[in-house]
Amino acid sequence: MVRENIIEFKGTKNGILIYIKPQQDFEIIKQQLIDKIEKAKYFFKGAKIFDIHCDTLTAEQKKELEVFMATRYKIYVLNQDERDILNKSEQMETVFTGITEGKTKFVQGTIRSGQNINYDGNVVILGDVNPGAHITAYGNIIVMGSLRGVAHAGSNGNRDACVAAFYLDPTQLRISDVITRAPDGHYEKPKIPELAKVKGNMVYIEPYLNRK
Amino acid sequence: MGEVIVITSGKGGVGKTTATANIGTGLAELGYKVVVVDADIGLRNLDVVMGLENRIVYDIVDIVKNVCRLKQGLIKDKRYSELYLLPAAQTKDKSAVTIEQMQKLTLELKENFDYVLIDCPAGIEQGFKNAIAGADRAIVVTTPEISAVRDADRIIGLLEASEIRNPILIINRIRIDMVKRGDMMDIDDMIDILAIDLLGVIPDDEAIVISANKGEPVVANQTALAGQAFKNITRRIIGENVPFINMESEEGFMSKLKKIFGLAK
Repeated sequence: MVRENIIEFKGTKNGILIYIKPQQDFEIIKQQLIDKIEKAKYFFKGAKIFDIHCDTLTAEQKKELEVFMATRYKIYVLNQDERDILNKSEQMETVFTGITEGKTKFVQGTIRSGQNINYDGNVVILGDVNPGAHITAYGNIIVMGSLRGVAHAGSNGNRDACVAAFYLDPTQLRISDVITRAPDGHYEKPKIPELAKVKGNMVYIEPYLNRK
Repeated sequence: MGEVIVITSGKGGVGKTTATANIGTGLAELGYKVVVVDADIGLRNLDVVMGLENRIVYDIVDIVKNVCRLKQGLIKDKRYSELYLLPAAQTKDKSAVTIEQMQKLTLELKENFDYVLIDCPAGIEQGFKNAIAGADRAIVVTTPEISAVRDADRIIGLLEASEIRNPILIINRIRIDMVKRGDMMDIDDMIDILAIDLLGVIPDDEAIVISANKGEPVVANQTALAGQAFKNITRRIIGENVPFINMESEEGFMSKLKKIFGLAK
């Protein structure tokens, strides 16, 4: 009988993840895990296992595998608390929060069709953003000129990010996972500087200066 | 030492070749020694527009491959003794010439001429890269259409990335009557988006088609408005300060005519 490969190892930033196919006999899983680790003993010695993923494994079985790997092969398996801390810090990293005070990139000049600006912070463009150009930022996007291209603020999930421009007339405007576009046909062009923000599930565009 | 000017647009059919032929002729008329180079290998047109197709023996590929000498490949114009054409090869493609070969060629031409005008092919691939390789300045041609302006914008970005700063703009085929009705992009809108200096505006003129078919650049035509516009462009290239043609006055003339026939209010 050809044995099906039921265990997969994946390297991640936080350690090795073990994926085990569901609906398998526990003894087979155990045997195959031993075989796999035996084959690369030196690689696994002192390695850090982040977690074991398997939908049908009970908590006791999972614990047994962990203890077994730790004692027999000196593999370090993270406990639940350590996992939580790492998961949390990863989330902190993914959503950029520095929209009121945080790192910012300043770009001077006109951003033309085909040009892209990507930054994991706020972006300020000292110039125009033309149709066909893309600005993507984890934080806010401020255009000290005309914004006619595509702007994506809060691109990794921050819905509080905003887009502002002296002349806000983008091809498409994205804030986090909310996407809007310019209306079809004729529409009233902006006359004063404006700011776009998400409220509810909609992007609202309004002037940000109180005086006319 | 002369100056190498590439005439480019991104989009096809906006009038690069027409502009090259007319500016070249215009500069020659002002007494400069000029060579126009067709960089559109495989789809050559410049020779046809200038009416020199039947004189071609060698082409640009022959010159860079050292099949012939530079002097042998240059074709003298029918009317102006100081105007030369370097035709493209028709049976090869853009990869027949490399960027280094183009740079060497333009450098050699620059030593012998006051102005070297390069007619760039449409697109942003090898042909475009070759055409701009040896250029000192760039003229971007566009028409009042959104697609042409978009492509021009992309081209300006690519030119800036290739260290060719401050390209200048020609807006071709404008129809003032349509602009006034609001059916065509107006000049200010285009300059607003592209944010570069305007070299000139060419009206949509049937004289262009007529003269191209005859193989005589329209700039030689004293009466055509387009010819006058090209003449002004050439004078601006050599550094003169020429006011823009007031196309309103032409419109004024037309409306006067209309008034005579009782068509206008």
